[in-house]
Amino acid sequence: MSKVEVFQQQPSGAVAAESPFHFSRQRNPLAPAKGEAGVIMAERPFLTHLILRGTPEVLLGGVRNVTGLTLPQTPCSMNSKEDKSLQWLAPDEWLLILPPGSEFSTEKALRGELGDGSYAIVNVSGGQTVLELSGPNAREVLMKSTSCDLHPRTFPEGRGVSTVFAKTGAIIRRPDAQRWELVIRRSFADYLYRWLLSAGAEYGITTQER
Amino acid sequence: MERYSVFGLIKHALSYHENWQKTWRSPTPKKEYDVVIIGGGGHGLATAYYLASRYGVTNVAVIEKGWLGGGNTARNTTIVRSNYLWDESAALYEHSMKLWEGLSQDLNYNVMFSQRGVLNLGHTLGDMRDIQRRVNANRLNGIDGEVLDAQQVKEIVPIMDCSSNTRYPVLGASWQPRAGVARHDAVAWGYARGADRLGVDLIQQTEVTGLNIKKGKIVGVHTSKGDIGAKKVGCVVAGNSGVVAGMAGFKLPIESHPLQALVSEPLKPILDTVVMSNHVHGYISQTDKGDLVIGAGIDAYNGYGQRGSYPTVEHTLQAIVELFPIFSRVRMNRQWGGIVDTTPDACPILSATPVEGLFFNCGWGTGGFKATPGSGDVFAWTLANGRAHPLAEPFSIDRFYTGSLIDEHGAAGVAH
Amino acid sequence: MFYIHCPYCNERRSEEEFHAKGQAHLMRPANPEEASDREWGDYLFFRDNPRGLHQEMWVHAAGCRKFFNILRNTVSYEILETYPMGEQSSVLAEMTAGRERGEPRRAAGAVA
Repeated sequence: MSKVEVFQQQPSGAVAAESPFHFSRQRNPLAPAKGEAGVIMAERPFLTHLILRGTPEVLLGGVRNVTGLTLPQTPCSMNSKEDKSLQWLAPDEWLLILPPGSEFSTEKALRGELGDGSYAIVNVSGGQTVLELSGPNAREVLMKSTSCDLHPRTFPEGRGVSTVFAKTGAIIRRPDAQRWELVIRRSFADYLYRWLLSAGAEYGITTQER
Repeated sequence: MERYSVFGLIKHALSYHENWQKTWRSPTPKKEYDVVIIGGGGHGLATAYYLASRYGVTNVAVIEKGWLGGGNTARNTTIVRSNYLWDESAALYEHSMKLWEGLSQDLNYNVMFSQRGVLNLGHTLGDMRDIQRRVNANRLNGIDGEVLDAQQVKEIVPIMDCSSNTRYPVLGASWQPRAGVARHDAVAWGYARGADRLGVDLIQQTEVTGLNIKKGKIVGVHTSKGDIGAKKVGCVVAGNSGVVAGMAGFKLPIESHPLQALVSEPLKPILDTVVMSNHVHGYISQTDKGDLVIGAGIDAYNGYGQRGSYPTVEHTLQAIVELFPIFSRVRMNRQWGGIVDTTPDACPILSATPVEGLFFNCGWGTGGFKATPGSGDVFAWTLANGRAHPLAEPFSIDRFYTGSLIDEHGAAGVAH
Repeated sequence: MFYIHCPYCNERRSEEEFHAKGQAHLMRPANPEEASDREWGDYLFFRDNPRGLHQEMWVHAAGCRKFFNILRNTVSYEILETYPMGEQSSVLAEMTAGRERGEPRRAAGAVA
């Protein structure tokens, strides 16, 4: 068991969480695209985002026991299972995304498994969010905004990269053949939302509430 | 040598302008000179001119590996201003500004110096505080300057987007009315002609391949056209300073970076001043021919390639289009790069070196053009007297050991 | 435009994702308080500025955020090698060894 104090960072009771897109959607309500929408944009709000840092030797076993996911050691890859994913960010850094509300329990469980080893777990759930793009033109919209090669030949399913996107940064991931995910900073959410609306206009873009 | 004048123009018109004298000679190098200047750019030629005209040293050669004024003199964006923050640099650049003001008459050559004013925009409260501080410092040093608010900026440049609906709204600017632009080639040619008239040998297409140093004292230079003896050598080679310092066996606190600029197709007169912005990183003016001259930031890496990177061009043009939406459909004609010699404190080096008789004038970084006359005069005095001119004293290499740096990153922030 | 191979991501990415961070393999004086003004000034301000091969640090700022080293020609802008922090350039070592064996310099290093 680790000596680090872990506490519940989620407020309990009546405090309602707001998605980073709360005002964006109010200010830019989106009419459904005429005809078939080329791009469908949906937020996946309030997910649990944990940054794990350490060497693979330290993290591997404990992470597998707690999450059921194997730590990906190939650069720019990710392992996902159902609604959980674990992505390589750097040789000593991974992004663990889990269903909403599991920050506290997961961190506690991980620290229990990993003990006093040399590692860090940081809850970044409040600082970033996931935006999902699908539809036949999703890739075209992304291609407008990044210098990263998104061709299926170099960007297969299960790949995720941290790169430049629309003059800022984002993590671009491809969990499966149909969907693209952007992991973006909360403070850039409104900017990127409007950027994507503008970039997607020519294909017909619509948003989907979950 | 005949003087240029309206009567000369009339006289030569009678012979269909076929009998003009060559602007300067192409002499064969002598065996030895009192002073050899390496580098025939604006600063080198100005040094030679002032050595001969003000300090009585006429046995001078300027050695240039390419053609006169073919390096950064031909590649800069020609902005002239003197609103620097610190006393040391303000004195140096203001000395230069005063020489600019009489230069065409002095040289009998029209350098097209146009005092159309320079605006340095502020986009944040921090910018505006810096501007206040700098303008106050300028006034204390006898340099003209005003702090303008957004409305006053809009009056000077009506086509600029001064609304608050931009990512970095224009909050105000510093304004130096005496600042402006000059014709870069004319500056080099005017100095070359003036120096040549006073007996200075301008030796082009000759590369210095080594320095002849005996017992720690310079005695001459090796060149691609043979050895030339010299009592003193002044090195004014901008981006290549590190290479020449290497020949002399010491290092300079200089890194050479690519700096690029671009010009548009010619337009009718639309912008009658110079606009610079440190914050969004771009600067722009319009030439007499009508081209918009746009400058970019330096690339962060070292390079001698005389070309810049595309992300920098993109970044600069975004800034320009944000400030001037009216230019969004202007097409760019040419884009090029120069090699700028940057120092850790963004101030030049005008200094003696560990080698006796060898002096360096370098490190002007991104803004050397404006200093051409002042740099030449101060360096000429230094070469003539064998010790640093009072204005040059603070700019010795020793400042990087004593710690008395002159940090002009604020005033020199945008490359130009 | 550079297309840079990040040794940590093990793939090429565009220049926009990176930042240049100056000369590589600089050693801070072991005892700064005992260093003379000259040694300290040399360490702080005096950098190599070669016309030719140059070893630099870059950071993959938008990617894995790791620093790494680049061996690059400052005239042709050719990148000969990128290698992780803490390692030495194998290309440079091979060039030196080749020169000692009396082999002609390879074209890319001609200006070095």
